[in-house]
Amino acid sequence: MLSTLQPPRSLSLLPLRRFQISKTIVSAASSKTIDTSVISPPQSQILTTRRSLLSGETTAVEIAKSYLSRIRLTEPQLKCFLHVSENVLKDAQEIDQRIAKGEELGPLAGVLIGVKDNICTQGMPSTAASRILEHYRPPFDATAVKKIKELGGIVVGKTNMDEFGMGSTTEASAFQVTANPWDLSRVPGGSSGGSAAAVAARQCMVSLGSDTGGSVRQPASFCGVVGLKPTYGRVSRFGLMAYASSLDVIGCFGSTVADAGMLLHAISGYDRFDSTSSKQDVPEFQSQFLSVDQFGSKPLNGVKVGIIRETLEDGVDSGVRSATQEAASHLEALGCVLTEVSLPSFSLGLPAYYVIASSESSSNLSRYDGVRYGNQVMAEELNKLYECSRGEGFGGEVKMRILMGTYALSAGYYDAYYKRAQQVRTLIRKDFKAALEQNDILISPAAPSAAYKIGEKKDDPLAMYAGDIMTVNVNLAGLPAMVLPCGLVEGGPSGLPVGLQMIGAAFDEEKLLKVGHIFEQTLKGSSFVPPLLANVA
Amino acid sequence: MATRALLAVVSASPNRCFISPSRITILQSLTSSSSVHFHRHSRKIHRIARSYSSDSDSSALQPPDVSRLAQTARISLTPAEIEECETKIRRVIDWFGQLQQVDVNSVEPAIRAEMDGRNLREDAPETFENRDSIRASIPSFEEAYLKVPKILNKE
Repeated sequence: MLSTLQPPRSLSLLPLRRFQISKTIVSAASSKTIDTSVISPPQSQILTTRRSLLSGETTAVEIAKSYLSRIRLTEPQLKCFLHVSENVLKDAQEIDQRIAKGEELGPLAGVLIGVKDNICTQGMPSTAASRILEHYRPPFDATAVKKIKELGGIVVGKTNMDEFGMGSTTEASAFQVTANPWDLSRVPGGSSGGSAAAVAARQCMVSLGSDTGGSVRQPASFCGVVGLKPTYGRVSRFGLMAYASSLDVIGCFGSTVADAGMLLHAISGYDRFDSTSSKQDVPEFQSQFLSVDQFGSKPLNGVKVGIIRETLEDGVDSGVRSATQEAASHLEALGCVLTEVSLPSFSLGLPAYYVIASSESSSNLSRYDGVRYGNQVMAEELNKLYECSRGEGFGGEVKMRILMGTYALSAGYYDAYYKRAQQVRTLIRKDFKAALEQNDILISPAAPSAAYKIGEKKDDPLAMYAGDIMTVNVNLAGLPAMVLPCGLVEGGPSGLPVGLQMIGAAFDEEKLLKVGHIFEQTLKGSSFVPPLLANVA
Repeated sequence: MATRALLAVVSASPNRCFISPSRITILQSLTSSSSVHFHRHSRKIHRIARSYSSDSDSSALQPPDVSRLAQTARISLTPAEIEECETKIRRVIDWFGQLQQVDVNSVEPAIRAEMDGRNLREDAPETFENRDSIRASIPSFEEAYLKVPKILNKE
């Protein structure tokens, strides 16, 4: 377990105004917003907070008040949070008291963290955005939450999501639709849309999400933030409400690669409460976050990058394709060796994923029966109680997936669907393994397009599922992947962000973070701050 | 290296779909310059008896009966919901059908990503301290029972 962490001296020590946000300059006449001459590389909010607290420049309470005020101002438009904690200032005060007493501070001291609502937080509503858990308050913290609190992190609130993680837009929440801070008429992506949007809008510094088929990476791309999906087993799933147990992971959002990496480090590690959690050592990710002036001319010299051919073919928006190709050129300029790789099983991932996910979810969601927790619809007879509680408690998409899963697992159909999908999973794993033996990382777009308009994909499930094509294979293979903003495409008041996905070998988050950090710190010409913030202090 | 063509037929979606509709992708054979090792399939002719054809119209698998599935899954649906669900589910299940065309002969099913051994805990009970919080969540609780209605046997 980490104790006090000295901020690596290697990161830039230029004095920063607290909450330095590069302002995008919006001109009424044009949609071009970037003044490239004043953009400096994005700075880690975790380290900035730490420096400000330790130097006495500010207090945890002042920082918290500032974020709460931003939440108050932006929530009516964004609706990222299902619940804002009543204890934020109290938690911040405790941090200030520890500083006053000269006590040791954990590496996340004073850091304000949003938590996706399918991750249990003791005493705080945790609903998975479902009516069936509308007033549920768990009696325990998820391991990831427990670790955050032990390291001084402050849970700001629970973020909105697609119900039980089933969706790619956050529109399937039973309670509210979250808007994309880049364009309020568009979705933030899903299912961790609230967590992504909250970080993009600086309502919190970092946040936790979950990723079963891309639910951290796709919203990261849509909202212009960093989304990090760890290797399956890197982070304990204890306290994450299970959707598909062989695919689920808890992931991290941050406005920089360093922030996402530091949060991941904080929550990683073996947990005896999760038998699928790995005993692999968790390296010190922080050593990857060198400051720009230490990079040298070709900081990624010799790093082999494979660009996945199947992800740049028909069906990918031209803006996304060119942003990805520009990102590839940027990597080359940094010294990477780019080759094209082919993953023959690539297109099979999508149906295989949906068979596995709906099958496993039909089993996992059978626990929501109205008996031990959640909303109960009373009936004369027990089966009726189950049927009515679930019928009324679950939303349409959830019901559909449970039924699809029930079908796929029915007697006589198991071999045709679930087992077959498992076999396809083996093929996919082998293809990735082979490609990663020849390359350090693989890259692709995070999604075939930028953010959709709200309501655009609601009626056609297959059109919705198609958007997951870039991300699901990574979950099937259990590999780590990170999405970071690499460019803007047309749309919205100041363009819409698109993300580059980087995929690493199992348990090789270190390499991803190294490449991602250097990419981000040297990327010229884009500032990924949504226009909404130009008007908010 | 064995050369294999893997057919990936993606069914068309009437709406704009990010996967090219009905495109058959024949994947290249490996050469030494390729950066991918292709999965080696056995050349054995031995096949599992195919009880499903690749054409979903003549599939031996019955299409989904939503009412029966809802009963199995203990979810009540209104007639309108059943109708809406039926259309959508059938489309998705048809789309799943493309998995039938993949040659998975002698491919081991992967339950999940690779794991490092079995992590089992001691089979020793531990007391959970916060029992009050658990009780507070129970909708119908009468010390020390969870109260539920009777079960009627269905004939």
